[in-house]
Amino acid sequence: MQFFRDTKIDFMRYRRIGASVSAVLLAVALALVVTGDGLNFGIDFVGGTQLTVKFSTPPQIDQLRDLMNASGIEDVSIQRFGDLVDNEAIIKTPLAEGSEEGSRVQIVDAIRGLYGTGSGRLDVNEQGVQALASFLTELDPDQLRALDEAQASRHYRDVAAAVGEVKREIGLLTSWDQLSGVAELSLEAAEALRQNADLGSFTVVGAENVGPQIGSELRQRGLMAVILALFGMLLYIWLRFELRYGIGALVAVTHDVFVCLGLFALAGLEFNVTTIAGFLTLVGYSVNDTVVVFDRVRENLRQNRRGSLLEIMNQSLNQTLSRTVLTSGTTLLVVGCLLFLGGDVLRGFAFILTVGVIVGTYSSIYIASPFALLWEHWFGAEARSKRRSK
Amino acid sequence: MNKSLLWRGLAIAAVVLLSVLSAYPLKDNLKLGLDLRGGIHLVLQVETEDAVRSETDKDLDRMVAELVDGGAAGATAERTGDNTFVIHGVGPQKDDDIDKTVEDFLVGWSWQRRGDDLAFRMTQVNLNEIRQLAVVQALETIRNRIDTFGVTEPVIQRQGERRIVVQLPGVDDPERVKALIKNTAFLEFRIVDYPFRGGAAASAEEIVANYGGSLPDHLEIKSQILRDDADQETGRLYYAVEKRNAITGRDLRNARPGLGNFNQPVVNFYLTHEGGIKFGEVTGANIDKGLAIVLDGNVVSAPNINGQIFDSGIIEGSFTQQEVEDLSTVLRSGALPAGITYLEERTVGPSLGQDSIRRGLRAGVLGFGLVVLAMMVYYKLSGINAVVALLLNIVLIFGALAYFGATLTLPGIAGIVLIIGMAVDANVLVFERIREELRKGRTVRSSIESGFGKALSTVLDANITTLIAALFLFQFGTGPIRGFAVTLSVGILASLFTALFVSRWIFDLLLSRRRKVERLSI
Repeated sequence: MQFFRDTKIDFMRYRRIGASVSAVLLAVALALVVTGDGLNFGIDFVGGTQLTVKFSTPPQIDQLRDLMNASGIEDVSIQRFGDLVDNEAIIKTPLAEGSEEGSRVQIVDAIRGLYGTGSGRLDVNEQGVQALASFLTELDPDQLRALDEAQASRHYRDVAAAVGEVKREIGLLTSWDQLSGVAELSLEAAEALRQNADLGSFTVVGAENVGPQIGSELRQRGLMAVILALFGMLLYIWLRFELRYGIGALVAVTHDVFVCLGLFALAGLEFNVTTIAGFLTLVGYSVNDTVVVFDRVRENLRQNRRGSLLEIMNQSLNQTLSRTVLTSGTTLLVVGCLLFLGGDVLRGFAFILTVGVIVGTYSSIYIASPFALLWEHWFGAEARSKRRSK
Repeated sequence: MNKSLLWRGLAIAAVVLLSVLSAYPLKDNLKLGLDLRGGIHLVLQVETEDAVRSETDKDLDRMVAELVDGGAAGATAERTGDNTFVIHGVGPQKDDDIDKTVEDFLVGWSWQRRGDDLAFRMTQVNLNEIRQLAVVQALETIRNRIDTFGVTEPVIQRQGERRIVVQLPGVDDPERVKALIKNTAFLEFRIVDYPFRGGAAASAEEIVANYGGSLPDHLEIKSQILRDDADQETGRLYYAVEKRNAITGRDLRNARPGLGNFNQPVVNFYLTHEGGIKFGEVTGANIDKGLAIVLDGNVVSAPNINGQIFDSGIIEGSFTQQEVEDLSTVLRSGALPAGITYLEERTVGPSLGQDSIRRGLRAGVLGFGLVVLAMMVYYKLSGINAVVALLLNIVLIFGALAYFGATLTLPGIAGIVLIIGMAVDANVLVFERIREELRKGRTVRSSIESGFGKALSTVLDANITTLIAALFLFQFGTGPIRGFAVTLSVGILASLFTALFVSRWIFDLLLSRRRKVERLSI
């Protein structure tokens, strides 16, 4: 099977149309980033607290929000997270003035108002493994403390860890019977938990708090990393090829980054550290695609000294077309899988790469080569000699 | 089979074997990041200026004491900054004495005279040393405290000037960890002056009235908070205690949780040799009086001194088991030299990590299947060659991750999935070239030869650009992102090996079987 065989498409003929399309795309993308809601920065970059909470029943988002507001937690955003059956929600608050340590405690207190057991007893779902270990040590259902205090606390730590292992699998315990398979948990200990502890209807499965200092640092470092990577690419191509190709690639990849940024803003996905990883990967991928074309141009130039650069670029683009489409295709297949199956955490990353692969493939053809040509036209040997003769 | 083929085959087998040996079984050999296995990641900052300030206070006191001893009775001092202080009212005739004092006791300070004032400034060397020491000491203290959690493979690392990163896999209770790390737990034992023989006063007024309306200078009033089972304050007890403490937490050699007479949680403590002597003297002189145990300024209990105590004792109070454990830990680990600020906190519950692995795996398996299908359809039998290369690639990635002890994170899994799509690129470049050569009418053998030859520089150039991006990513990234940069780089290097070396070998092996090859399925 073969997609393209000895094609002779005159890509370069459409270069002005391509440039216009890109200019419009860029303008729209920039407008999307700058105006309206703009980029939806995550707490990685602006600081704040974010909790992922799992409930035993579908969470009542509105009620939760009212509850948060009532307890003085400001600007809270609550969203469903993950698959609907998981009953999870993400609760996010911006950085509060004067409290670098975030609002985790207040948020959990507020949730407890609606979903808590209200009994004041230990809630195995809500408390961590360490708290459970201390709780068991105090109850001492296995009658070990009279013999050896240290051994007893080690024992209960193991028991608590084994219970934690079950929580790891299930996420949220709904019945004590779910612990019946835990070998470390003796019948006495299980009974003691049943009698003295509760299983609440929510658990915090993830919590993040980023202070203002870290946020601004990550912002700067992320921006620097992308800019430096772009110039690293320019430098590499300059060294391996010529400056004009470096410029072409740089323009193309910058174009890709901004177009993706615009679409990312449009999609309203959260911009976080993983997103930066997506953009840097996009930079690598987009240049990779461009370099393959340039490599062919260079080779053809060596063999065919008579053809104009434009003709040779056209020829090279046609020769590499099959490869371009196939590699983009396989890459799209996998990032598509990530986008649809990879879960919410990787969605932004997969989105950038999905869009990026498409835009990157287009820009290798319609941006990189024409710009290399344009650079040659403006600053190349011919242009220089013309200027001199004037 | 010719010699070169054999050797290359052996080399490939060796690499694969090494990978499999280091990675199998995957569950034991692959280090999972906190985002996958669950745990706590904390970044905290040591407020080193706290330590500088207290050093300045100490040296300032020393300087004034020396001056007063030397006859400059009117000398007063004030701290003017974290690392500066000014002494007022000392004439120039004292300059030689001051020089000597600085040389003897205030090494690391420089001073200047301004009229009758002396301006002291800490030298940069001294300043750096104090800051440095504060961070090192904090690191040590935190490590000791964390040890009691019994966490396997905790990471407690210095990061940059004055930051410390704490990573605790498997721990899911950040508030407790944070409190334990930050806990100052300043413990003092003070003699109770009123009520004289045990008991407590019901109000501060009662105590003041007892002293005839004003408290003597050497005493102060401390209170004990009474709580009910739900931890609500129900009332307070008051004591008049000496301002000077008998001993402090620094005199402790060890502290352990234990059980009291009524099976209630208590802390057993053991004193250092010097601490024991000091405590023995004080308790011996105050038999029958109360001994207030003061923690962070609050009385936790005030038992009576029944006899002289030399080396060990019990701290009682209305503690829970957890409080007793934490208090023992903090007492054992010593004091923090400076305050701590939390800059970043990330807790990943174990179920979230499991879920991430499941989803990543699902995406990877489907992606792999689709790519295999695409290669087989497009390149027919040669596609199998590419698929073998891809399979090896994945084996090599896991082998390398295990061998170098790299950490697999969720973005790292995404990196592997991505590599599955991108790694075939090298094969595609080569195969397209072979097709071109075949179309020119060359023989299969020479087409393969020149296909690999001509594609080589393109394959290298194209992959190096991705490596450059990965390098910057590694530089930028925190834990999870670094994991991505690592899998991406490793995957690219592995794909170079599999596409250029392994695929070539497979072609050569197939061709070596037959004299004459007319057609290649590509």
